[in-house]
Amino acid sequence: MKILTCPLNGPRNMSEFTYGGEYHPTPDHADASAREWAEHVFFHHNTAGVVTEWWCHNASSYWFLAERNTLTDEVLRTFDCDQVYNQRIDFPAVTTPEARK
Amino acid sequence: MDPSISPTQTSRRSSLYRRHSQLGAEFHRFGEAIAVHHYASDEATQAQSLGLADLSTLPRVGFKGAGTPAWAEQCGVHLPHQPNWASEQPDGTLVARLSSSELLMIGDYSGHSPLIDRLAAADRPERVYPLPRADSHSWLALCGSHAADTLAKVCAVDLRPQHFENGQIAQTSLAKINAIILRSDIGNLTNYAIFSDSSSVEYLWDSLLDAMAEHRGSPVGLEALANNR
Repeated sequence: MKILTCPLNGPRNMSEFTYGGEYHPTPDHADASAREWAEHVFFHHNTAGVVTEWWCHNASSYWFLAERNTLTDEVLRTFDCDQVYNQRIDFPAVTTPEARK
Repeated sequence: MDPSISPTQTSRRSSLYRRHSQLGAEFHRFGEAIAVHHYASDEATQAQSLGLADLSTLPRVGFKGAGTPAWAEQCGVHLPHQPNWASEQPDGTLVARLSSSELLMIGDYSGHSPLIDRLAAADRPERVYPLPRADSHSWLALCGSHAADTLAKVCAVDLRPQHFENGQIAQTSLAKINAIILRSDIGNLTNYAIFSDSSSVEYLWDSLLDAMAEHRGSPVGLEALANNR
């Protein structure tokens, strides 16, 4: 079985993990257009080469990031997502009339 | 221990209570909870070889969130320095660190934990969230000299005592379901505490007993564990 190294739990069988999709930097929620949000949420680049992906270790519900070469299926490194998300982002309550509907 | 106590007389009982009754268990009551005291007469010897105990009704609680480590230390908890290790507190409670910001607190076999009672009632600051581990997770204890051999049949992680130290934790797949495995020896008795989704405990209990049969393992009660302390 393939082995993936979880940054929290160490090497584990691939069957203990769930793929969470490509990692994309989150758009600035204060001024992102609808088009930018749609691309962030729904579109994948589907790169042939090194990509950054979300993975979850099921037994610990721990989400982390992995750099993987999609051509060779080689995992270059795995790392904790606090290397990317290192500050709290608060979303203010929406107050426009359209949003209340 | 009172032989006349039946699990249905208490509000807190294990999902496995019908299996325990079928095995001829006698129960021990603590507060509104009940656990198996023993099944047979001499379980101390059985526990030394290979035993499985259901401790699901004993106290435990979890906390998670970025503010958890600092809050726990303010409350007097001695935290393990790194994730996937546990440390014993002065009152016998084990504090397992499941990640940098998540703790699982486990009472001893008396059914009482002053630390858990105190933290459950304490005011919590922002970014500290309680987890009802006593309800969400079952708690089994697999003990004895053949415990590691049994686990090797159902788990891919090397849990042999020479490679998996007392106090170490593995969060992994056990008999194909998610589990937290904590080595918490009782005196000289090798013991693994196993926490998994409470809705799967009947499956896990049966699977472990099946894996134990090769080594002549059988269920044991709280008395056998307490006698080894």
